[in-house]
Amino acid sequence: MTNKRPPVTKTAKADTSKQAPTAPVPAASTPTQAPAPLPAAPEGFFNVFVDGELLHVKKGSTVMQACTQAQKEIPHFCYHERLSIAGNCRMCLVEIEGMPKPIASCHWPIAEGMKIKTDSPLTINARKGTMELLLINHPLDCPICDQGGECTLQDLSVGYGSDRSAFHEFKRAVDDKDIGSKIKTVMTRCIHCTRCIRFATEIAGVEEMGATFRGENMQVGTYVEQAIQSELSGNMIDLCPVGALTSKPYAYTARPWELVRTNSVDILDAVGTPITVDNRHGQVLRTQPQENNAINEEWMTDAARFSYDALNTNRLTAPMIRRGKELQTCSWPEAFSVTKTALENPTAAILGSMASAEDALSFKMFMDTVLTGSAYDCRPAGSHLDQFYTFNTPLVEFENVDAVLLVGCNPRLEAPLLNVRLRRAALKRRVQIGAIGADMDLTYPYQNLGNEPELLESFTRSKFADVLKNAQKPAIIVSASVMTRGDGAAILAQIEKIAKKVGVIKENWNGLNVLAATSGRITALDMQAKAGTPKSDTAAILKSFNNGKTQTLIVYGEDTILPEDIEGQGTLIYIGTHMTATAEKADVILPAAAWSEKSGLYANAEGRVQLAHAAVQPPLNAKEDWKIFRALSEDMGKTLPFNTLSQLRSLIAAKHPAYKAENWNKVTPRETRVAAADVEISARPFQPVVTDYYLRLEYLRQSPTMQKCQSEVAAATLGTTGTPPTPLAPTKAKTSKKAA
Amino acid sequence: MTTLPRLKPEDKCFPNLDGSGDWGIKGYQKRGGYKGLKELLKTPQMQHIEKLKASSLRGRGGAGFPTGMKWSFMPQPKLDEKGKLIPLAKPSYLVCNADEGEPGTCKDRDILRYDPHTLVEGMIVGCYTLNAKVGYIYVRGEYYDESSHLQQAINEAYEAGFLGKNILGTGVDVDIHVHLGAGAYICGEETALLESLEGKKGQPRLKPPFPAGFGLYGCPTTINNVETIAQVPPILKNPTEWFTRWGRPGNSGTKIFSISGSVNKPGNVEAPMSIPLRELIDEYCGGVIGGWDNLQAIIPGGSSTPMLNPEQASRVLMDFDALKAEGTGLGTAAIVVMDKSVDVLRVMTRIAGFYHHESCGQCTPCREGVGWVHRLMERLSQGDGTIDELDQLFALTKKIEGRTICAFADGAMWPTQGTLKHFRHLFEERIKAKQSAA
Repeated sequence: MTNKRPPVTKTAKADTSKQAPTAPVPAASTPTQAPAPLPAAPEGFFNVFVDGELLHVKKGSTVMQACTQAQKEIPHFCYHERLSIAGNCRMCLVEIEGMPKPIASCHWPIAEGMKIKTDSPLTINARKGTMELLLINHPLDCPICDQGGECTLQDLSVGYGSDRSAFHEFKRAVDDKDIGSKIKTVMTRCIHCTRCIRFATEIAGVEEMGATFRGENMQVGTYVEQAIQSELSGNMIDLCPVGALTSKPYAYTARPWELVRTNSVDILDAVGTPITVDNRHGQVLRTQPQENNAINEEWMTDAARFSYDALNTNRLTAPMIRRGKELQTCSWPEAFSVTKTALENPTAAILGSMASAEDALSFKMFMDTVLTGSAYDCRPAGSHLDQFYTFNTPLVEFENVDAVLLVGCNPRLEAPLLNVRLRRAALKRRVQIGAIGADMDLTYPYQNLGNEPELLESFTRSKFADVLKNAQKPAIIVSASVMTRGDGAAILAQIEKIAKKVGVIKENWNGLNVLAATSGRITALDMQAKAGTPKSDTAAILKSFNNGKTQTLIVYGEDTILPEDIEGQGTLIYIGTHMTATAEKADVILPAAAWSEKSGLYANAEGRVQLAHAAVQPPLNAKEDWKIFRALSEDMGKTLPFNTLSQLRSLIAAKHPAYKAENWNKVTPRETRVAAADVEISARPFQPVVTDYYLRLEYLRQSPTMQKCQSEVAAATLGTTGTPPTPLAPTKAKTSKKAA
Repeated sequence: MTTLPRLKPEDKCFPNLDGSGDWGIKGYQKRGGYKGLKELLKTPQMQHIEKLKASSLRGRGGAGFPTGMKWSFMPQPKLDEKGKLIPLAKPSYLVCNADEGEPGTCKDRDILRYDPHTLVEGMIVGCYTLNAKVGYIYVRGEYYDESSHLQQAINEAYEAGFLGKNILGTGVDVDIHVHLGAGAYICGEETALLESLEGKKGQPRLKPPFPAGFGLYGCPTTINNVETIAQVPPILKNPTEWFTRWGRPGNSGTKIFSISGSVNKPGNVEAPMSIPLRELIDEYCGGVIGGWDNLQAIIPGGSSTPMLNPEQASRVLMDFDALKAEGTGLGTAAIVVMDKSVDVLRVMTRIAGFYHHESCGQCTPCREGVGWVHRLMERLSQGDGTIDELDQLFALTKKIEGRTICAFADGAMWPTQGTLKHFRHLFEERIKAKQSAA
């Protein structure tokens, strides 16, 4: 630093002690000496000068916000707009005329006539000083650091760092912590900005991160070394401005500038988080969230972030047919000829939960055109949900909702990003949240109203009914999994009755919502990928295949049925992406494209249709799904009426207006209708909706990382914290007892 | 120069500071304590605050902020149209900072163990004036015996009806709780103290908001030093001149000075403000060991304040403004005298080490810088380094001072800056000696 050392400037006036004097009122309300003829700012605004430029800045803003408004970038590490203000990095110091010291712009309120100087010598020297101090104990290991190339410290040190160090003492080294298989820690790199601590405490709601020790020995970590139990912990990686917290699965894989970035959508729950898929040489290496205030803010679930290794694990890469006892790879024509023969018999089909609109419609058209009259369904056995599977309340409206009732729903595990909004409502606005359903930990207080469905019958007389009645914008969230109970229709009908009575459905407001398991389920229902009679539902299809009435069963994708429920001796045709337990039972396998390998439209819970671009090619001989149906239909002599993706898209748009290109990315509530129930509400209590968050979809079960995460949850539940995750047989499909 | 007269017991706020009398309630009442408390609790609060302003009492914890003004920032209930009191939206708190950790300072300790009822009475009057029903006294963890004296005093006060509900029939309710710290110097910083009191890690808060608006548990809070609070009842009970006749305008009253180091009779003395430093040492402490000419340096206000050289020390008055004019501060008025046998650089290195040890680690300049300063001091005080590094050390202190959340780093840097200012020649001699030896 010797050659570039900034001149020593006169900064602070002596202030006699360690106890700063207490002044009463924030500076925001004490007008400082303004030059005489300054016209008053508009109501609710202050006149503020940023580097001499006059601005009208909203009262209550911080100095940093004023600078942002003036398009002056203020370097910072600890400040993050979605977290509380810590003010500890001291990188955002700016000079304000008339103040003896530079102030931290991230928290200092603006005042009338304030003159902010973002490029004065004092400001620049303050930043350089902070940067020097941040770097003295920071290791110079950028060449082996995964944050390299996207590191805030690296970026800002270009502007404010020195090219040599004046620090000749020993550097600090800190032990790395094992905090699970999602986050890799290199704690020597930590600059103690506490963003991760604040995220865990404020957003994720798990108070597991904290700082121990003091002074330069301060260490950030989990107090007891253990895997962080949160569905959102991966966001700490994005928040960490240095390489202290990086993605464990991504470690040492690639440099950011080598990656090709593609916009996509997370389809592993019903929120529809916009994401980017980063690939190098046709291999997906990581997924990251995009920012969208109306959907995910800027967070992403751990399932979506870390399950991408499933894309490279246990994939179906070529068509297969069963020869004798063994499944053997073959060519597409061979597979088609076996398929064609099998489809001449009575056939039924089941669609999984990760279908795009293209998949669902081409599947539906194939079933309707080529296999006319065959039964097919896209819903789990027991569910007859077809008129009401989405939200009437846009996600962003949950910032205004003032009472919530959850029925059979665990938003923390079903839609963690919805839970972030509910948590904020419960804690920041003291919104009352009641739940009918199994006991759960939502990370915020809620009233457990019991888990007996009978409660619904007398609900309107209960105390919580009054809470909903007194609310301006009350909401009810019902998990779609409730519909698989068998009495789902009756429950939904009863809930609708309640909703109308207690004002959840009223003029200009409809707060009744059904939370589906995945976007794919919603999309498939939008495309009406079901034959539509009670005799053609999933349960009936399975029954008739198992008792031999249907000789051929097409299983297209997973999660609506369990592999062990397929007992029939007929031909099983499997169209999918992974060698799952179901695929292992199949007689013909047609390898399809995973979500990252095809361009597809997906609707989320609020009916918002988003386009996921294809990031990479399907592996080897696998094909995009619609092409499979199109080719097979041609082979069978009843060619489907589309040759290109855009032709298919126009058919989709004709099927459902929300899928028209001009309606993409807009909240388009579906017309929800509750069918009259022909069953009684049973007395069976509600069961926990999701028992294994990381493995709740077959796709997730294919991911080695997700397997590790779940074993960490199991370890934490058993109280054996800190044990390393048991290594797993790498790719063998696990037959879980659970479907969505 | 004429010497000031010694204070008579009736002039003092702490007549039992030397521990010669009974520290219990009987002794305190014999000395005039709790007399007139009832009247104080019936006087309108604003009158008290005005009187405190007139007395120009300044905070004794180090910053010297006018106490009357500080107390006026607290919300006072207003009257509605019918003349009825509108109760405050949030409870108010008075917190007493007895986390005396500044090296050299030991005045609060003697108040707590020899005259704890002065503080208890101060808390009662303070809580009443600030509309607080609950007061907290945050006592430094190492002051275990002292805190037990204080607790006994509080118990006695409860028994005598000076604490609790409806004190002396005036309708005033005050409860006092004693909380022991856990040994962190930073918890003497008022907002870190609040965090610690709330059960969190003791780290200073960002200001604004200031505690008067958003303090303990988010409620209006005033935090004062032990000595400040304990001086309030005598000020309010006596005419204003009783207090203002001592000292200079703006620095009036009496003050406890803790004198330690190379003096013949170290100890705590209550003396008038603005007393010349030399008179204080010569008259009250038996003079510097080996005579005034043997003086090397004096730290005037606890370890955070820069040193004075003998020439400054011989003329300076001990008050806030005079010491500020000399580039240092009154701080806690803990005077550390060093004669010529003292290795000043070693002392100042030790002080830098203290701050290194006590930095809370919250914000960057202090966390990273204070340790660096200590290590440089350690090295350079042994002559192990270069002359350039002296400049670098000074520049480094300027990168830390005034850039942090709280004033800890300022207090940590000033002694080093003072050393470089007055004793740079010592560093240079040692560096050159080492260089020529090599």
